[in-house]
Amino acid sequence: MKPLFRISYLEATARQRIAGLLDRSSFQEIIPPTKKQISPHLGLFGAPVSWDDGAIIGEGQLEGHEVYVFAQEGKFRGGSIGEIHAAKITGLLYRAAQRKPKAVIGLFDSGGVRLEEANAGEIGATEIIRAIFEAQKAGVPVIGLLGGGTGCFGGASIMSCCCDVLIASEEGRLSVSGPEVIETVMGVEAFDSRDRALVWRTTGGKNRFLFGTVAVLVDDHIPAFREAAVAAIGQKRSFAIEALKTEARRLRERINSYGDKSDASQIWETMGLPGPGVSEMTAKELTEAKLLSKP
Amino acid sequence: MKLQELLTQLFPNGCDVATNGWLVTGEATSGGKPVSVLGTTDHVLIGVRETMVLADKLLEIVEQHPGRPIVLLVDNDGQRLALVEELLALPEYFAHLLRVQRLAYLSGSKLVAILYGNAVAGGFIAFGMLADRLVSISGAEPSVMKLEAILRVTKMPLEKLTSLATTVPVFAPGSDNFFKMGGLYEIWTDHFADHLHRLIQSDLSKDLRAGLGQERGGRTASKAIIDEIIAA
Repeated sequence: MKPLFRISYLEATARQRIAGLLDRSSFQEIIPPTKKQISPHLGLFGAPVSWDDGAIIGEGQLEGHEVYVFAQEGKFRGGSIGEIHAAKITGLLYRAAQRKPKAVIGLFDSGGVRLEEANAGEIGATEIIRAIFEAQKAGVPVIGLLGGGTGCFGGASIMSCCCDVLIASEEGRLSVSGPEVIETVMGVEAFDSRDRALVWRTTGGKNRFLFGTVAVLVDDHIPAFREAAVAAIGQKRSFAIEALKTEARRLRERINSYGDKSDASQIWETMGLPGPGVSEMTAKELTEAKLLSKP
Repeated sequence: MKLQELLTQLFPNGCDVATNGWLVTGEATSGGKPVSVLGTTDHVLIGVRETMVLADKLLEIVEQHPGRPIVLLVDNDGQRLALVEELLALPEYFAHLLRVQRLAYLSGSKLVAILYGNAVAGGFIAFGMLADRLVSISGAEPSVMKLEAILRVTKMPLEKLTSLATTVPVFAPGSDNFFKMGGLYEIWTDHFADHLHRLIQSDLSKDLRAGLGQERGGRTASKAIIDEIIAA
């Protein structure tokens, strides 16, 4: 059963998410929209621009801890990564590496690299990944949140998985190629992108949580994201060789155990979970069921 | 360029590099010092299994030869487009491969990626773009997105888009455009062995791409914004 009263993270804008996530009125934006830092490229295509280029960055407090935040606005050109968008996030992460807040929190909501700025976006996406690594090297963990309406695809999906910890709702879809891309290239029989149930159980937060890609599953409720983010502060992933070997074993075992499965519900049944019933479970119910299931 | 020709030009004193299907592994010398070689060929598509093979090899190199330079040979047609790949969480596999590359960096190894074939989208990010330096040789074709895909999204007439592609480096495929954006450190046309030796000898520790994009006029905003945020 879903909680009766919810403040939807999915439906909120990036700015509303930040406001709901951080301590009241604590957010200080860096390069706010009043600076009118618009894309220098979109105009060439006759495409609309936004004064923040779909990326909002700044500093704030989370349960009294100093945190830096970046948020992608999925409602502006699919949260796509263009030159300005990427540079803002990269700059924030380098600033974090120097000034060492308690954590950086990234609110991902992006279809990936912006096609009109494909080269700038692709390079920018990898500059962000490099900057995530630099923040981590400085001892600043990066916490990723997935629950936006656009999902998290392409370059954004890869950068999110470089975070120290991921928190997601079922609605937070995560994959490299979006279902529409797979359908367009490989045909509708390969992936029917209009089959919403199929899309969600394949790429949605629940499947990602059951594999451990996502550490914490929450319901689509901004205070639930906040609570999980507070609890995640201080969690860090190691770059020690033993830690990476353990990671490799876990990923290999996933291929060995489930590489022959073609649908998430088969995987869930193999795990000892009620296949189709998983979709009906709340975050709390599935979290409890996962503890009893086979990894 | 064919892999064998590339290897001959990169390592004129010979090398011990073998191909096994799409996988390229081995050892060679640059300026008389040993380097490890890890790469792909045949425009491979990179899925979860290919990613793990590359990551495991790289882990092995880092463990056996900490600090030794690593040459990555890049040729891929991007990620495998399939539901079963995404079902297993392909982005997590790509991130793992990047984290192992980061381990190599933190262990003191210099990673030089040489783009000699294709390089597309997610496959390019997972293997190539996060090296300490990425160079290409003439004939190599990086393409983040095909023009047809951009056409579908922008709904711009093909002629207009094609003519824009010749004057604006920000979106069109190709090494020259990618170079102007700072995405390629250099484009090599000859003397590969000398270039490689020179790169390995130099300090590769910083990501210089935003600055290069500014100098070359392809990405004029990034560097200033990053600097402004750090200083704010």
